[in-house]
Amino acid sequence: MALRPVSATLPLLLLTIALPANAAIRVVATFPDLADMTRQIGGERVDVVTIAEGNQDPHKVPVKPSFVTKLNRADAVVVMGLGLEHAFLPPLLEVARNAKIAPGESGYIDASLYVTPLEVPTSQNRTQGELHPLGNPHFNLDPVQGKLMARAIAEGLERVDPDGAQTYQAGLARYNALLDRKIAEWAKLAAPLRGVKAVSYHPDLIYLAERYGIELIGTIETKPGVPATPAHLEELIDAMKQHKTQLVVREVAYELPLAQTVAERTGARVVTISTLTGGLPGTDTYIDFIEANLRALVGALSTAGSP
Amino acid sequence: MDRHRIARVGLAAGLASCACFAPGVNARAADASDVKALQQELAATQGELAQTKSELQETKDTLNALKQRVEALAAAAPAGPSLAPGTTAHLAPVNADNPAISFVVDTTARSNSHGDGGSPVDGGNGFALRSGELFISAPIDPFLRGYATINGNTTQGFDIEEAAVVTTALPWNLTVKGGRYFADVGRLSHWHDEALPFVDRPPSLNRIIGGESRAEGVEVSWLAPTEQFIQITGGIYNSIGEQAGTVLNNTFGVGSYSELTYLVHPTTYFDLTDTFNVEVGGTYFAVPKDNDRHLYGVDVTFRHQPGTSGFYQGTTLGIEWMWNNQRFANQTPQFNAAAAPLLTNPALPFDAITNPQVFGSRFNTRQGGYAYFESFFGRRFSAGLRVDYSEAPADNVNTSLLYIAPLSPNADQILTYSMFVTWMPSEFHRLRLQLDQIVARGEPDDQRITLQWTAFLGSHSHGFTTR
Repeated sequence: MALRPVSATLPLLLLTIALPANAAIRVVATFPDLADMTRQIGGERVDVVTIAEGNQDPHKVPVKPSFVTKLNRADAVVVMGLGLEHAFLPPLLEVARNAKIAPGESGYIDASLYVTPLEVPTSQNRTQGELHPLGNPHFNLDPVQGKLMARAIAEGLERVDPDGAQTYQAGLARYNALLDRKIAEWAKLAAPLRGVKAVSYHPDLIYLAERYGIELIGTIETKPGVPATPAHLEELIDAMKQHKTQLVVREVAYELPLAQTVAERTGARVVTISTLTGGLPGTDTYIDFIEANLRALVGALSTAGSP
Repeated sequence: MDRHRIARVGLAAGLASCACFAPGVNARAADASDVKALQQELAATQGELAQTKSELQETKDTLNALKQRVEALAAAAPAGPSLAPGTTAHLAPVNADNPAISFVVDTTARSNSHGDGGSPVDGGNGFALRSGELFISAPIDPFLRGYATINGNTTQGFDIEEAAVVTTALPWNLTVKGGRYFADVGRLSHWHDEALPFVDRPPSLNRIIGGESRAEGVEVSWLAPTEQFIQITGGIYNSIGEQAGTVLNNTFGVGSYSELTYLVHPTTYFDLTDTFNVEVGGTYFAVPKDNDRHLYGVDVTFRHQPGTSGFYQGTTLGIEWMWNNQRFANQTPQFNAAAAPLLTNPALPFDAITNPQVFGSRFNTRQGGYAYFESFFGRRFSAGLRVDYSEAPADNVNTSLLYIAPLSPNADQILTYSMFVTWMPSEFHRLRLQLDQIVARGEPDDQRITLQWTAFLGSHSHGFTTR
């Protein structure tokens, strides 16, 4: 009789540990973009959970204990990389007690692996703000980089689960074909953006701008991660007027009023985009997220004022 | 290819022209055959020209195909030479011989209505280097990591606050920590000063735990392998916090296992909604013999973390309460002659020091705790309120064995109301203003204002525990 409570609890514990039907591995993705790609590539073979929400500032994701248990039981963790998770993943991994997903181990899947980083700082001087030492980590806004992310994820899944190699390769081929078709469509959709001058709140548009020919004039932040000062805003507004800047791009995780103020002072138009999948309504997949951003940017042009 | 084609066409045209305008009648017959030959050559050249055009088009097509392939390969190609075989991640370069190092400069300026109040570090007027903290951490090998905190302030020199090693690869979700460190007591007791949400440590923790829960010993932590976060920590230490300064443990060392301090601290966590969560912990530590200390504590932390872009960014509500029961030596406000020979006579059994017949003893139960909330605004502001209640033993525990003086019995209950506002110009730089109203029973109220200026050099993080 004394064992009854234990015998009653054990099946419950086992239930919580059991994998969903058909899933071969548990994967924790730090961001929704990575979760979507992992599902697209791995299908039912992967059970994917996400840490951050799409509308959160990726630099300030809360460190919740519930993430610890997810990481503790994971076969792999998929990260954006280039230091984007620096604020929340290291402390979580430190207590997750799961050596196989530690950085550099086979279960640590870095989506930035094949990305050629832009804006790699030549100095780690903090007078330049909160720089990412390995380069700008917001490459997911460029769908061509998305293909590289998918490749790194597929290879990582194959490394962790060699038995599923065929599934992952087929999934990658399918996803690449879909992305190729969309990339061709998006190139036409985004054609009006070439030569458009814009500012953003945070320096996270560089990959998107390089892809579609947007000219970035500056950021509302004084330096990366450092809030705007009045002096900086005056300088930015002057530069925007001088360059006849058309768009103030406000990322959904950042405050709107300041972007509106800057836009009002310069005659530019505020356009809200997301830096992560799921940040805007109806963008539950990476492809929807890219398309929504491009449509928002192009749509804003049609109503943008002339400074 | 174009040049050759033009040359051939030009040659044919030239020959044809020459043939047409060649002088001499006798040459007419020969001319006719020449013209025919030339016409044949012209036709051949034209055929060759058409073939060249076809080859040119084919080359253009091939070139376009190659161009497309190069673009496709460029989109899919690895970074190449920057990746070593087997690389799984872009990782920041680390020199194995250089651990992560950071230093915190934590300064305060304080004024209180009493006009003095002792050291500015502890509540008195004036400027103070409240804390200069050097923090070092690094993996040691695949099985262990280590860290150390070296801390000094205005009133005391540098001291090794923590020097600990932690296992990283034990099975069954276990972690073992050894050395000197802040024992896993409650919630804020094991936070470093600069990580606290207030200027000062809650007075109840100072009076009941004895400030930070500094301890030397070994601690085992287990994470349940379930979806529900459940973590249980157990520890054995020489002493914890205030106990580190008591006579019995500190002067004479530990006499037996029953004079060690034993700790158990379970913690769990619930996501109430996507944005609301609660964390609950319980603490029990005891010294079975010696001063028969038993401390019970409960801590609850509610968080609202919307994680969105509005001006309001979230709220934390933290509550911690402790009950402490322990035996104190009866104290008299004069030189304790009975203790003097004991201090110089190591042959005496340790228990003799605590023998009630020598000093007398009495049990004292006291309780205390705090509740606070802090709301976060914009990206860099926060503000909050704190209420703290604490009791001291009716007779003071004097850490000196030779001179024992009781506290004023009127000051055994203290209520502190605090209001604090924080501004962080950047992630590594913080200014905080705190107003305190201190109500001690039987004493005049004290108002205190403190401005704290804190800066972080290097990559500073105490990790998951100070989330």
